[in-house]
Amino acid sequence: MREGLGADPPGLLPRLRAGDPRAFEEFVIAYQHRVFGVALRMLGNRAEAEEIAQEVFLRAHRAIADFRGEARLGTWLYAIASRLCLNRLASPDRRLARGDDALVDVPASTPDAAAAAERAELDAALRAAIAELPDDRRLVLVLRDVEGLSYEQIAEALALDPGTVRSRLHRARMQLKEKLERFA
Amino acid sequence: MTCTETRDLFSALADDALTPGERAALDAHLAGCAECRRELAGLLRTVKLVRAMDPVHAPAGFVDRVLAAAQPAPSHRRLVRRLMRPWPTLPLGAAALLLIGGLAVLLFRGSPEQQRAAHDQLEAARAPSSERNVAAPQSVEAPPAAVTAAPRSDTDLSKNYSEPPKSESMRAKTAAPTTKTDAPSPRARAERAQATVPNASRDSVSSAREQEAQQRLTPPAAMERREAKRELADRGQEALAPAVGGRSAAAPSAAERQPPPVGAATPAPAMATAKAQAMPQSAPLSRTGPMTGIPAAPPDVTARLRVAHVSGAERALIELAARVGGRQTGRRIDGGRLVVELAVPRDTYAEFVREAAALGAVSIESQATDRPMLAVAVTVSN
Repeated sequence: MREGLGADPPGLLPRLRAGDPRAFEEFVIAYQHRVFGVALRMLGNRAEAEEIAQEVFLRAHRAIADFRGEARLGTWLYAIASRLCLNRLASPDRRLARGDDALVDVPASTPDAAAAAERAELDAALRAAIAELPDDRRLVLVLRDVEGLSYEQIAEALALDPGTVRSRLHRARMQLKEKLERFA
Repeated sequence: MTCTETRDLFSALADDALTPGERAALDAHLAGCAECRRELAGLLRTVKLVRAMDPVHAPAGFVDRVLAAAQPAPSHRRLVRRLMRPWPTLPLGAAALLLIGGLAVLLFRGSPEQQRAAHDQLEAARAPSSERNVAAPQSVEAPPAAVTAAPRSDTDLSKNYSEPPKSESMRAKTAAPTTKTDAPSPRARAERAQATVPNASRDSVSSAREQEAQQRLTPPAAMERREAKRELADRGQEALAPAVGGRSAAAPSAAERQPPPVGAATPAPAMATAKAQAMPQSAPLSRTGPMTGIPAAPPDVTARLRVAHVSGAERALIELAARVGGRQTGRRIDGGRLVVELAVPRDTYAEFVREAAALGAVSIESQATDRPMLAVAVTVSN
């Protein structure tokens, strides 16, 4: 799990609002992995994930002047990324293209050469099980257990009640548990 | 509390998000329900599995692509920066091969020693074997002026680029380039560069490129020759031949530092070996020549670190590498930016990245983590 979303880099927001190109570069560097991570876990395809992740930053770039700063920059980016991912997943073309093997091509970023076959099988089953979750549950699970956001941050990013976040997360985890029972 | 109500709290328990009342009720139920305890264990195990998944990283070059997309008309500064730093946009291995191969071709084509060595070897290959046997001592004892004045026909030199070496004759002649300590004047080199190819077969642009390549190579080549000349003065002409033979054991390691001449004509590897055997003193100097700044192999991980103070961050990075069981392996300047090269154990790599992030803004450009000790190249800038 990624470390929790901390405070914004000091002084970054005013510089972004002022149109400082160096600030925008710092902004992308600081959040690129988080944004790409959500997109990849949601879409299961690196090329598509990069396309969406780029779009997230471009939208942020265009809208930064209107960003009121009530939320953290990171939360705001997660909100944009979540919305774009859900929109993409809901598009008719995407539904046709998407198969049961979504997320299968998500590689473990640190493959262990000495890992046992059982571990590899478990990893594959885990990724497949996450991919099979309903989109809204998967999104909450990814934001909480992969990206390390708090309930409150997830609620803010997705414009949900914290109770709904808790409920969706619970269902997502229980569903995963059932799918992974045979590995217990 | 029923089993269903209890299990609805499991997920929040995993996040330590239960109210004290909920927690007390849960504990009370679990104390008397083995089935719920088993369910809870299963759920906690599942949560642990998901959280153990490695966070993914954005692909190499992602930042540049976003910045380019945000500014459709790239500024002059951005263009220059992209030209200076092409690595993130290319597969690292392919880029390294292209760069090293290209430089190797330049070196081979541009180095007078190598041209002469190739020429001499071809001459020796044509000569009768009895002459070949004495060729090496003769060339060792030949005065430098005679070597410089040796006539070369256009066809002979042009063949250096295309004819495969005669391996035996090459071995017999490896000492030959050593004696060529008299550096030709830049003008002579330029003339020879033009003379190496028939005029009809090469346009003025390629000739200009050759001259430029020659000029780029001049300082290190001259340094190597000066070094060899000093050695001649120290040891004396008579002592040179055995000394060269005696030092030849060091040649393989020196030759290994030469990049593989991808795309070069087949004589090139032998040329590098011949040069290394003949001029071992020049090997350290050659590292300060045109090859400076090109890593021997592409790193497993390339990263950028933005900090307020570069020198302080460099020290901190080296200390951090040592703390996680690694070490510094190199340091270079690439495009005006400091690159710190480190070896970091894969087992502690995550810790290394975490702590490096505390030094400044870290961006992992690429990583391939299938080796126990990772070669990490960190570009540090402010």
